[in-house]
Amino acid sequence: MMAASKKTWGKLAKLTLVMLMVGTAVLSGCSSGSGSSTNASDGDSGSNDGKQVTLKVEIFDRGNTPKPYTITDSYLTRYIQDNFGTPNNIKMEFVPVPRSEEIKKLNVLMASGGNVPDIVFTYDTPTFNRYAEQGGLTELTDLINEHGPNLKEFLDEDAMSYGQYMGKQFAVPGKRAFLGKYSSFIRADWLEKLGMDVPQTTDELYAVLKAFKEKDPGETGGKVIPFGMTIEPAQYDPLIWSFIQPTTEEQKYTLLQKLGANDYPTLLPGFKDALQFFNKLYNEGLISRDFSLDEDKKQLTQDVTNGLTGFLTEDYPNMYYADGTYDTLLKNQPDAKLTPIDPFTNSEGKHAKPEYAPNGMYIMIPKTSQHAAEAIKYLNWMADPDNLLALQNGVEGENYEMVDGIPVMKTDAPQEVIDRLYNSGDIAIIANGNFVGDETQNREKLTTNFPEKFQDLHRKAVEISATDTFKPVNFDRPIEAEAKYGTNLQAKYEEMIVKTAMAKPEDFEKTFEATMKDYMVSGGQAILDERTKVYQEMQSK
Amino acid sequence: MRGTVYLRRYWQLYALLVLPLVYFIIFKYGPMWGVQIAFKDFNFFQGITGSEWIGLDAFREVFQTQDFYKTLRNTLMLNLLDLVVSFPAPLILAIMLHELRIQWFKRLSQTILYIPHFISWVIIGGIVYQVFGTQSGMINNMLMALGFESVPFLTEKNTWLITYLATGVWQSAGWGTILYLAALTGINKELFEAAEVDGAGRFKRIWFITLPGLKTTIVTLLIINLGNMISIGFDRPFVIGNKAVMDYSDVLSTYVYRTGLESGQYTLATVVGLFQAVVGLVFILGANYASKKLTDESII
Repeated sequence: MMAASKKTWGKLAKLTLVMLMVGTAVLSGCSSGSGSSTNASDGDSGSNDGKQVTLKVEIFDRGNTPKPYTITDSYLTRYIQDNFGTPNNIKMEFVPVPRSEEIKKLNVLMASGGNVPDIVFTYDTPTFNRYAEQGGLTELTDLINEHGPNLKEFLDEDAMSYGQYMGKQFAVPGKRAFLGKYSSFIRADWLEKLGMDVPQTTDELYAVLKAFKEKDPGETGGKVIPFGMTIEPAQYDPLIWSFIQPTTEEQKYTLLQKLGANDYPTLLPGFKDALQFFNKLYNEGLISRDFSLDEDKKQLTQDVTNGLTGFLTEDYPNMYYADGTYDTLLKNQPDAKLTPIDPFTNSEGKHAKPEYAPNGMYIMIPKTSQHAAEAIKYLNWMADPDNLLALQNGVEGENYEMVDGIPVMKTDAPQEVIDRLYNSGDIAIIANGNFVGDETQNREKLTTNFPEKFQDLHRKAVEISATDTFKPVNFDRPIEAEAKYGTNLQAKYEEMIVKTAMAKPEDFEKTFEATMKDYMVSGGQAILDERTKVYQEMQSK
Repeated sequence: MRGTVYLRRYWQLYALLVLPLVYFIIFKYGPMWGVQIAFKDFNFFQGITGSEWIGLDAFREVFQTQDFYKTLRNTLMLNLLDLVVSFPAPLILAIMLHELRIQWFKRLSQTILYIPHFISWVIIGGIVYQVFGTQSGMINNMLMALGFESVPFLTEKNTWLITYLATGVWQSAGWGTILYLAALTGINKELFEAAEVDGAGRFKRIWFITLPGLKTTIVTLLIINLGNMISIGFDRPFVIGNKAVMDYSDVLSTYVYRTGLESGQYTLATVVGLFQAVVGLVFILGANYASKKLTDESII
């Protein structure tokens, strides 16, 4: 007995030792491996022309790569290697970053120094500003002048200015093809049933919502949600902005609060009226009761597809994808009609709504990169119209046909041909949307990507999203308080909407005061002060 | 001389400790090096050593923030309520299981009770919305079908608190029984038999034998729980919470996530982390001291 247990002990100890030794071997193997690779890249940095260099490019991984591809080895990555990499003696390497934790992962990569890709990007303005401010990015003016003629032409000065920090070019901004943002949608078949006209103003819309609630034209058995709401900008933004009073240039500069990527009207005249209206809608049961829980539009989509929702506002294309919201609704209720409308009106009778800034993401080259020139060459190659066409639309005759100068995707192409382009948006980083020609052609191209039966509806939604829009305000320098308090204030802003909406009407005033005060002390005041100061400096110049 | 004989004989025992020690040094003590960024204006690209010292500026800033006090209060409140509600639950459950005589039923119940522990909070959050939602939640659908008013389980702060605590009990009570059940097997069976012969009923036996037998375990767990008073898991308040109940659901961990990670202010996040660690240490030492005085049981 004793002997046996002693033997086991001995065995265990030996096993532990072996494991330890293996562990150390692996560890040292790793470190020596990475050591040699650094040496190799050091060798590259000598940029002697005969030697192949490796260009590392970040790529979003959305976990949707179709077989047989992998995120780092797909049709498009091979296309880039063959058409840009190999001819220039550059080995392309794509570094996947999960889309959902993009900023966190990027922070880690940036802090790691040597391992960071040569091309990184983000949509997040504060992140870009922080990198630039802390001196982590390569200044690009000279490089673009030398290596980026196509790039300069493609982006033009307006878009290019969005990549500047304190007057220095620290990023190549992606360019947005179409700036429209929101449209509204209504169940036209419900209107017909009630004999009501399409609402043209906010008041008319309110009457329609009331009728939806009381007469339940969709026969939902009391489950009707007249106005589908969530706690996402696409649902509350159009409503709120329609209450904002006409503002002077100065008010726009000083009173807007840019949190994250969007301008928020927290301090503009009319904001309180918007919340008051919100409160009325909620208390009369006209918007989704649980909208404060719906942070990803899941419940909203479910309610629309189940035919419970009468009206909603959304990002303009979101209803009409194949197998998308409307398509699914039709499967449940073949007679349903979900039509784009533009009902919200402001005090001037306009359908005022925000549009996107002309820039897409910030494409950056970390300061530690040894291959900044190659990186710009790559972006310049991408900016060539033919190359961009190939990256966004694939092969003519297989993926698309040219119709009136617009590459129209072939929906009947074999799946493996369609799969070639599964992440073209994440590959063609300098363009947000398709650039195929002039503004009208670009818009029409948007529409051709949708199923034929929905194209007329989509065209209408596109048009609405671009009606009476106003541009975001752009300062020539970042507002530090916005970088610092932005994320927290976004949460406060949403909290304000939720709480004032859900308060009893008699408590509205009190709730508004309390949440506004909380917002102001949590950074709102700091942003206001800094914007006012910067505006005055701009004026006095 | 005796030392070497001892070592030669028992070196295996020491060798076995090497791996855990290495683990602690690398993953627990190593990162403490980074605590210094609480006193520095952390710059990403200069790294920890390259950043400039700013003294206690960051602490001053944190202690002037209203949100810090709100989240601190919520953290303490949620933890305290959790202690009151969730701490006794596994104890009661374990005693109930212990009293069962049919083995297969006992095992089956144990397994069923453990399962929630293995479900991630993200999934529990989804279930909670489906069950407790005001408009389309299962329970409210039933209430409304029976003609009652719907209850805002998730969107009114006081009812939310009950939902939060109840899901906590549901998720962790079963798993918490393990330690108690293990301790219960250590109680001498003869005590129960003798008590039964002497005419002690079931409740008397529980009161005079089972509970005293569990005293050490209870005190140990209580001390550990008190030490964790100031720190709170991220997932549960983040997933179960929502914008309507931020007054209660916003806690230190979610605050650190928002300001530290999402806004990239690592210095502020570290300050809060350090604060939590120091207060946590005070709590645990205090609880340990009190317990030593009162019950003679302690863990340090």
